[in-house]
Amino acid sequence: MPKRSSVTTISAAGLLAAVAWLAAPAAVAQERGGPYRAPRTADGHPDLQGVWQVRNTAHWDLQDHAGAYRIPAGLGVVVDPPDGSIPYQPWALERRNANFQNRLADDPYEKCYLAGVPRTMYLPLPFQIFQTADEVAILSEYVHTWRWVPLAGVPRYPGYESWMGDPRGRWDGDTLVVETVGFNDQTWFDHAGNFHSDALTVTERFTRTADDVMTYEATVTDPKVFTRPWTIRMPIYRHRDRAQILENECYLYAEEAGRPIRGRHPTFDDPQGDAR
Amino acid sequence: MTPRPALLLTGALLTGAAWLAPVAPASAQASPERRGAVSGGCPTESMAFQRCAREKARTFTPPRTAEGVPDVQGYWRSRNNGIAYNVEPAEGSFAVPRTGGEIVDPPNKLIPYQPWALERRNELRTKAFEDPQGHCAPSGAPRKNNTLFGWKLLQPRGYVVFLYESMHDHRIIPTSGRPHLPGRIKLWHGDPVGRWEGNTLVVDYRNLNGKHWFDMSGNFQSENIHVVERYTLFDPDTILFEATIEDATMYTQPWTLVFSLERNREEGYYQLEYACHEGERDLQHFTDDTGAGQSEQFRTEDQGAR
Repeated sequence: MPKRSSVTTISAAGLLAAVAWLAAPAAVAQERGGPYRAPRTADGHPDLQGVWQVRNTAHWDLQDHAGAYRIPAGLGVVVDPPDGSIPYQPWALERRNANFQNRLADDPYEKCYLAGVPRTMYLPLPFQIFQTADEVAILSEYVHTWRWVPLAGVPRYPGYESWMGDPRGRWDGDTLVVETVGFNDQTWFDHAGNFHSDALTVTERFTRTADDVMTYEATVTDPKVFTRPWTIRMPIYRHRDRAQILENECYLYAEEAGRPIRGRHPTFDDPQGDAR
Repeated sequence: MTPRPALLLTGALLTGAAWLAPVAPASAQASPERRGAVSGGCPTESMAFQRCAREKARTFTPPRTAEGVPDVQGYWRSRNNGIAYNVEPAEGSFAVPRTGGEIVDPPNKLIPYQPWALERRNELRTKAFEDPQGHCAPSGAPRKNNTLFGWKLLQPRGYVVFLYESMHDHRIIPTSGRPHLPGRIKLWHGDPVGRWEGNTLVVDYRNLNGKHWFDMSGNFQSENIHVVERYTLFDPDTILFEATIEDATMYTQPWTLVFSLERNREEGYYQLEYACHEGERDLQHFTDDTGAGQSEQFRTEDQGAR
């Protein structure tokens, strides 16, 4: 093996130094909490795939709250309005308070119904995200719920009314933005009775902010119930110890436990509704 | 594009309704009769279909994903010739179509039950209300492909994902060689692990909880069930679907059923929500015959509503 010349050695060292220098700002920025660059999918978008779950009490109450029967105490997740209060119209606040009193009987989640949006994202159960070039799919353990989010080119059916809504997505830089309409008025935002009407629009923003964290934001607009749009924000964490979601067949478990749940949708309870 | 607002309101009733009578939505109305007894250029009788489709698959080159595996993405529905009602050959009856069955092995097209299991099946057949599907249960393998509704296939890298319209259900098939879950975790949809064998997606289901039926006719299973599904695209729009069922505690031999899956190319089509348990009130109509699980109050209340 020929003896390596000192020139080559110096050049190699110089090159390494240059590479280190070029790489340094990104690494330092990341270390100091600067901009995080998420891993990418084949088509260049941030990769949000994996099994995720929140670690908060939003499922029980979106606002700051002390503990109550079957409600763990917790910090609120409402970031706008800045005081953390959901901006109800006066009649709606009364209804919310009544919902709270009757939560054990009336919370749709207690009846094992589809959780609605955005509640499906902060259930105390994991969900898994999948991405292709054309779509994002969010699949939950809870009663095998799926949300299919096309990223382009799928016109909505008119007159859609559903528990989980009809979502459409787009990329805004590194943030996945999902706008969902087409809801019924049957779901609650949490166990504390926070509710909405069928005029609900939810705009969600998913941003991966670290390897195991994404920031989730949802803006709720419903002019029938609120005086203004309002926004919740929370981190959602990626599970490192599991690559798959299992299942949670809530109503079947209830049946097996000898406590079958019989759903009563108002439309079906109304004799005229039957004729439709 | 066909708006289906009626389906949205009545979706919850359809499991029960479709179970007693084929009150099918627009997406499922194309009956075998209307479409003719051919699928992907093959006759639909199960044995002839399997032979023909396998032959075609030998020369068919499927489109590929970026991952290099056959691209099966899109909307699909089963062409199951009535096995939603009965996987064995059966005469038609009121609101139930005649079916030639879909079993190809054993050749007599009957499930090779052990005597005790056949007796149990015959008993269950008289208790349609015990069909888990009528209780909005995820239908497991292979029945999930037997519903009157379609599904969407997605192929994110390393997976094939099924999004079913029926009961907002999903199945996630990893194709990256993940090991099975520990045996004590029994699931309604089991633990599917997939792999590509040439152009065929092979899905191995362990951990099924065995609470499913194969159809609406009481054909049942145990928690020892092991199912292997095979999906082979043999034509741009048609998949040969084969499912082999093994359970030495119930059957005298493994058995296999076969049917066709057809692509739905309807312009602008996407799946709507099929809520099942939400607002479900047909269950009591089934259980009323025996009163099982029903309170007097509930029956009275319901009759009032009607």
